[in-house]
Amino acid sequence: MRNRLKVLRAERNWSQGDLAERLEVSRQSVNAIETGKYDPSLPLAFRIADVFGLRIEEIFLKD
Amino acid sequence: MAEDAEVPGNRAPLYWGLAFVTAMFGAGFGARFAGLGGIWTMLVMLPPMLLLIPLVRSTERGGDFGGCTSPALKKYNRRGLIWAFSYVGALFFAISVNKAWQPEGPLLWLIAVLPALPIVYFVWSLHRYLVEETDEYLRMRYVGQALFGLGLLLIVATVWGFLESFKVVPHVESWMVVPVWAIGLGLAQIAQRVRGS
Repeated sequence: MRNRLKVLRAERNWSQGDLAERLEVSRQSVNAIETGKYDPSLPLAFRIADVFGLRIEEIFLKD
Repeated sequence: MAEDAEVPGNRAPLYWGLAFVTAMFGAGFGARFAGLGGIWTMLVMLPPMLLLIPLVRSTERGGDFGGCTSPALKKYNRRGLIWAFSYVGALFFAISVNKAWQPEGPLLWLIAVLPALPIVYFVWSLHRYLVEETDEYLRMRYVGQALFGLGLLLIVATVWGFLESFKVVPHVESWMVVPVWAIGLGLAQIAQRVRGS
């Protein structure tokens, strides 16, 4: 699954650490999701969507 | 963009880990070479055990720096120190009592089981970590490591068991399962670090 996390972070000038803090997860988790090494669970995907104020499908895209 | 994030490598825990393993094996072989028995071997093994403290601390510092730790993981590491030192203490106590008083019957059972109690605590702490960890990625990583350790243990124990049945290798005490599992866990951690996952 692809995602737009890096672009969305860049638009807000957030580091991975900033996003991790907002999501209450480790920076390594954000890094793993962003680089496609790990697909988040549905609850975490919803939290990510909430943080960016977007819908899940606007962040995560089918391969 | 604000400081972007390659998760930085941190080798201090690896060095402390190597120092710990080397010191433990060195002390063990040294004690055997010097012909030391039970309690004296335990005494010789105690100082290398202290290396666990900087190992855990450097792991936590590395985790903070690399953004790969959590409050649950820190709690798990602290509990790890508790069971490790309790294990050595209980073993020391059991060997000492057994040697000094040669207990029999229920007391012997009690003394024999004593060193296993910290391992029960360890299994509980492992369960607590999986319950308390709110970071699903860290939890998934740990589950993967633990399963790798379990797989290694099943293979080693089964292969060794059959070799033992055919009298090819000497008998190994069953309490060795925990160290073998821990070696598997450590190998999986190293593999994850190398792969950058």
